[in-house]
Amino acid sequence: MKTLEWIGWIVLTLVIAFAVHVASVRYLPNAIMHIAMNKMGTANQMHHAKRPDETSRGVVRPSPDLLYSACPFDLSKGTLEVQAPVPPNTYWSVSAFDSETNNFFALNDKQIGGQPLELLLLPPHGGQEPAMHIAGQLVVRAPTQHGLVLFRTLINDEKNFAKIDAVRRQATCALSGAPRKGTSRGG
Amino acid sequence: MKVFSKVLAALVIGTVLGLCLTWFAVVRGSMPGGVSDGPWKTNLLIGNTGGDMATRASVAVHGLLALNRSETVYYTTGTDSAGNKLDGACTYRIAGRDPATRWWSITAYAADDYLIPNPAHRYSVSKTSVVHEADGTFIATVSPKPAPQNWIATVGARYSLTLRLYNPDPAVVRDPAHATLPSIVKERCP
Repeated sequence: MKTLEWIGWIVLTLVIAFAVHVASVRYLPNAIMHIAMNKMGTANQMHHAKRPDETSRGVVRPSPDLLYSACPFDLSKGTLEVQAPVPPNTYWSVSAFDSETNNFFALNDKQIGGQPLELLLLPPHGGQEPAMHIAGQLVVRAPTQHGLVLFRTLINDEKNFAKIDAVRRQATCALSGAPRKGTSRGG
Repeated sequence: MKVFSKVLAALVIGTVLGLCLTWFAVVRGSMPGGVSDGPWKTNLLIGNTGGDMATRASVAVHGLLALNRSETVYYTTGTDSAGNKLDGACTYRIAGRDPATRWWSITAYAADDYLIPNPAHRYSVSKTSVVHEADGTFIATVSPKPAPQNWIATVGARYSLTLRLYNPDPAVVRDPAHATLPSIVKERCP
């Protein structure tokens, strides 16, 4: 009887261990993304990180040759409008990640073909469908309400650093109808 | 009361066991989908959308906000070409031809995955900063002591290197295990 009881407790412990393991693997990406977004700052605003150096602690393994600008988004109150000029003659890309860290959208300078970026990020369910697709405007539906839009701009020439930095700082994001704000703009 | 403390014990031990399992399987464990090219390792799943739960967790831990491989291939290594762990006190020579890509860089990271502190800010060499030899190849030096050119600074501790290939050639995207990548040779240790 005593042995049976012990086996019961061991089985219960193992079942709990398995459940905790599955749940932690399931929600680890959400937790990691949540922390990364919080580090970046206020949602629905563009944050222009300084050039990565040894003091940078935003995201692991940053490239010191790239400039990163990020817009953590929260689409619970509507559609996000993202606008950015594309710096000439260097690598540039915009990518979007959902709250589970999946990369659901990416576009680089060659693919966009010299046009400035005009991106509408729609909430996962409902929200306003754009009545028409304006020429040059990209419309993407986000798989989750929260996530991150990330810009990478390559510093391909140290002499042009100030120029490249000034162009990438013109990127903005805001909910439709909200005033456009950015941190460290022009700084 | 006795039953209550047993349930509590099962909960505590079960939770600790479950979290340990996740730690070893996902955080410490190597990712599924890994391939090697000399000392350089990359993962075919980085930047992918979807995949199963375990793969997604692994990508989140090891490649957060990384792009998929048609946009960027990220190779990483903690060893030299002979398979020995990289030692920040030693001098290494990275030599080869420019990889087949629009742009590349080699960056050193400390054990905490951040850039290695150094007063000269020599964190990387890249396609645009590297000085080539007369035959078109390049030689970079990874060492704690300054080198005259193509220098990546380390401190006397373990570190790892990341080789980034932005907009790689289609052959690299198709088969990242057989790209022509630079070698890493230990020259001397103090």
